Amino acid sequence: MARSVWKGPFLDGYLLKKADKSRSSGRNEILKIWSRRSTILPQFVGLTFGVYNGQKFIPVLVTDNMIGHKFGEFSPTRTFYGHASDKKSKRS
Amino acid sequence: MARIAGVNIPAQKRVEISLRYIYGIGPDRASAICNKVGIPTERRVNELTDDEIFRIREVIDADYKVEGDLRRDVAMNIKRLMDLGCYRGLRHRKGLPVHGQRTHTNARTRKGPARPIAGKKKVTK
Repeated sequence: MARSVWKGPFLDGYLLKKADKSRSSGRNEILKIWSRRSTILPQFVGLTFGVYNGQKFIPVLVTDNMIGHKFGEFSPTRTFYGHASDKKSKRS
Repeated sequence: MARIAGVNIPAQKRVEISLRYIYGIGPDRASAICNKVGIPTERRVNELTDDEIFRIREVIDADYKVEGDLRRDVAMNIKRLMDLGCYRGLRHRKGLPVHGQRTHTNARTRKGPARPIAGKKKVTK
């Protein structure tokens, strides 16, 4: 079920401060964040975030289309190496 | 025979039923259209007057997105997800279920018919 509109978008508040800070400092550095559950807001567009996937920070350049999605959607947590049997069948 | 919204030619059935052959119109919308045009439920498509068919066309054109337009919309939505590189897009690219279903078993609708695994022993009695 979709989230109620009256609640507004969910996000961890410190992200706004973090984004403001990097905007005003002017340097284009990767903002490391752990908050995968936060919604991407319009004021994040153009910034690069390093979204933690449990192991590494995946760099995500936020674009217009991403507004409304969550940060976690752009930082996959699982790696799929294929099935062992697939390799065998390819070789033979 | 009646052509409504492009290629659909449902005949002989009740109007409410045959309208559902149009992509984008299901039970609910079909009955809504009938109500709006003022067609009784027992009426069949081949009993419709030209004027009624014309009015059905008008209602569909005005209120609903059907067939090609709708298909393109859906395809565009999926394409947007794929281009974004978000999780749902990746699932679409790989042809796996998008809404978090299990893939250990089942998920055959997305994955297609089961492929035999090379070297897997068959269970024999």
